Amino acid sequence: MQSPDFSQNYFELFGLDPVFELDSRRLQAEQQRLQATYHPDRYISADERDKRLSTQVASWVNQAYETLQDPVKRSRYLLEISGATIPDDSSTTSDAEFLMEQIELREEVETCRHSDDPLQRCEQIETRLEQRADQLAAEFVSHFEAGELDTAMSSSRKMQFIQRIQQQLSELQFELEDN
Amino acid sequence: MALLQISEPGESTAPHQHRNSIGIDLGTTNSLVATVRSGEVVCLADEDGRSLLPSVVHFGATGTVVGSQALELQSSDPLNTISSIKRMMGRGREDVSQLGNVVPYEFVVSAGSKVPRIHTRSGDFSAVEISAEILKALHDRAVQSTGGDIDGVVITVPAYFDDAQRQATRDAATLTGLNLFRLLNEPTAAAVAYGLDQNADGLIAVYDLGGGTFDISILRLNQGVFEVLATGGDSSLGGDDMDHALGEWIIEQGNFGDINTGLARRILLAARNAKEVLTDTNSAEIVIEHEQQRWQGRIDRDQFEALIQPLLKKTLTACRRALRDAGISKHDIGEVVMVGGSTRVPLVQAMVGEFFTREPMCDLDPDQVVAMGAAIQADILAGNKPENDMLLLDVLPLSLGIETMGGLSEKIIQRNSSIPVTRAQEFTTFKDGQTAMSIHVVQGERELVSDCRSLAHFELRGFPPMNAGAARIRVTYQVDADGLMSVSAEELTSGVTADIIVKPSYGLTDVEIESMLRASMDHAREDIILRLLKEQQVEASRVIEAIDAALAQDGETLLSESEIAQIREHRDALEAVIDTASVEELKRLIKAIEDASEAYVARRMNASVKQALAGKQIDEVDV
Repeated sequence: MQSPDFSQNYFELFGLDPVFELDSRRLQAEQQRLQATYHPDRYISADERDKRLSTQVASWVNQAYETLQDPVKRSRYLLEISGATIPDDSSTTSDAEFLMEQIELREEVETCRHSDDPLQRCEQIETRLEQRADQLAAEFVSHFEAGELDTAMSSSRKMQFIQRIQQQLSELQFELEDN
Repeated sequence: MALLQISEPGESTAPHQHRNSIGIDLGTTNSLVATVRSGEVVCLADEDGRSLLPSVVHFGATGTVVGSQALELQSSDPLNTISSIKRMMGRGREDVSQLGNVVPYEFVVSAGSKVPRIHTRSGDFSAVEISAEILKALHDRAVQSTGGDIDGVVITVPAYFDDAQRQATRDAATLTGLNLFRLLNEPTAAAVAYGLDQNADGLIAVYDLGGGTFDISILRLNQGVFEVLATGGDSSLGGDDMDHALGEWIIEQGNFGDINTGLARRILLAARNAKEVLTDTNSAEIVIEHEQQRWQGRIDRDQFEALIQPLLKKTLTACRRALRDAGISKHDIGEVVMVGGSTRVPLVQAMVGEFFTREPMCDLDPDQVVAMGAAIQADILAGNKPENDMLLLDVLPLSLGIETMGGLSEKIIQRNSSIPVTRAQEFTTFKDGQTAMSIHVVQGERELVSDCRSLAHFELRGFPPMNAGAARIRVTYQVDADGLMSVSAEELTSGVTADIIVKPSYGLTDVEIESMLRASMDHAREDIILRLLKEQQVEASRVIEAIDAALAQDGETLLSESEIAQIREHRDALEAVIDTASVEELKRLIKAIEDASEAYVARRMNASVKQALAGKQIDEVDV
């Protein structure tokens, strides 16, 4: 088995430009092509070294794919390979305005179930969150392209927060639909 | 184990020969073996034409029997006749003590082992050993039927099987001497048997109603990747319950008075028979003859369906729950695949069809469909279909976590991550001067460690004392393509490391496996020993060749003179006795070479995987 070049970054591995906006169909097609080449199923009868190496490479490809496929992880990864320092998850934002927005959004989701038509209310919030996510992604792109890594980082963290709220909301939706 | 790579990259191997491969459905009640022969999938049958092998092992005074013969002895010799062993795979003492109420066996746990064993007249046996008897019977059948050695096997496991259960299944294959290509999820196998992997993307429900268990799995097919979104079911609901319901009806109708075991058995047999007749006809005649009693009656399909409806409703409740867990609606399901003999019952098909609002797929024999899918996958993995590039990508069924302060499980790899996968996370010390850290590996979705399954405990010891919070311990979890994991830990500031392959807390130790292998070897026929010797000689010459090639290539750059001399010494010792030594002796000498060149292998690996994973270094762990 010919080992791929492990020094490549995820974008290089997938043959994609290191930009935020990427062609998800190409990403998926590349993921399949890489797994078709390196997955351990292709080395069932190979020697131990190749088996081990294929497990390593396939894990690496999986990790790369998961990172690139998710907008929040992708944005962080872009910052990482551009040399920005990534603060850990526990550090807090000092952006007072965004803090207020966080609190409001949380409350809205939490009070949603008590409204007259909770499902419809959920949909409204959902649309708003989608718009907000798009807006933040655009912010991220413009900061990142201008080389303003710190502000880009801040947009990325806001994207992460919106993503969490979106997950909470979809859990609530399933729960409501169920009853 | 291969020592070193000798073939050049891109160099092709010998021209392709057809390789015999089989798929095995190792079931709770019945097991099957299938193979692909001239492009056709066939389930292999015994001399009497039966493809189902009851998963029952009987330890008799004169020998061990497996299958229908064993099943016949169950009532006369229950303590030495083991059935439903799959329920004990990868399970510890506490788990099986719960089973103790259901099964009559006598469990023993010997000193120095965590594995519960069943006491029989032939000795104490673990679930792995008993499963290996079943695998052996299926393997023998395959060898007879294909007329040759079996090069590899795919064995199916329930999608919800955790690491311990998968490891136990793999151990059973090792013990049988099978070359296990891959463990495959049962619902995925069923979907493959129906060729759904060729389909466009979509959601698939696999409804599996067997003799004693019900499983529902929701799969997502996305660009050739089968993901198990959710599984659910009832481990004590199946076709047997239908027989019981009908049996009770017969008892009500028949006024039998006192019912002894013999009569009860007659009634259940008659009930099962009537159930099967009602699959194709609208009414069935029932005759019960036992000692002086005789009863004759008739049941029509409507009456039977009324009896079993409550049971089937239970399965639909489980379906609803699984759909909820998967986060999808039943209308999103594109295909429904039927598995298990009990899905032959027309009402089952009707109710499932109505529930999912689409016709379920039941063209293939529902008893055989899982084994067939396994055989198709085995055939592809054996390389018999170079033109077929089907690749089943699987996901981790249950999250893998580590115990943190307060008995909480911190997830290191989330469920549904595509496998193989490697994840590392850093932890630190809690106390000043701490020099060791205990690592507890758990599997499951729950927050509390006590609600998860404990897979392994190990310790990273001997790092220098530091202030609390100063040590940086990186724990790396790796899961291979079978869903089996290995763990390593490293203290980054000192470089102290510890590696383990996760041996589930309730798993067999390597020593136990080896001694069982040896025991099974003692009973083996001479030709097997001869074959082992032959294999070992081939392996020995391969190792010598590999060493020579490697030393010629980079021995002088990577090794000191004395290191080279040491490796050569072991190499020459092996070469001198290659045609005369015993299997054990050859193994010992090969092992000695491997030990002597361990550092060399590592250096070669490092040289080739040099810039290891862009800063995310993965420790070499044998998988």
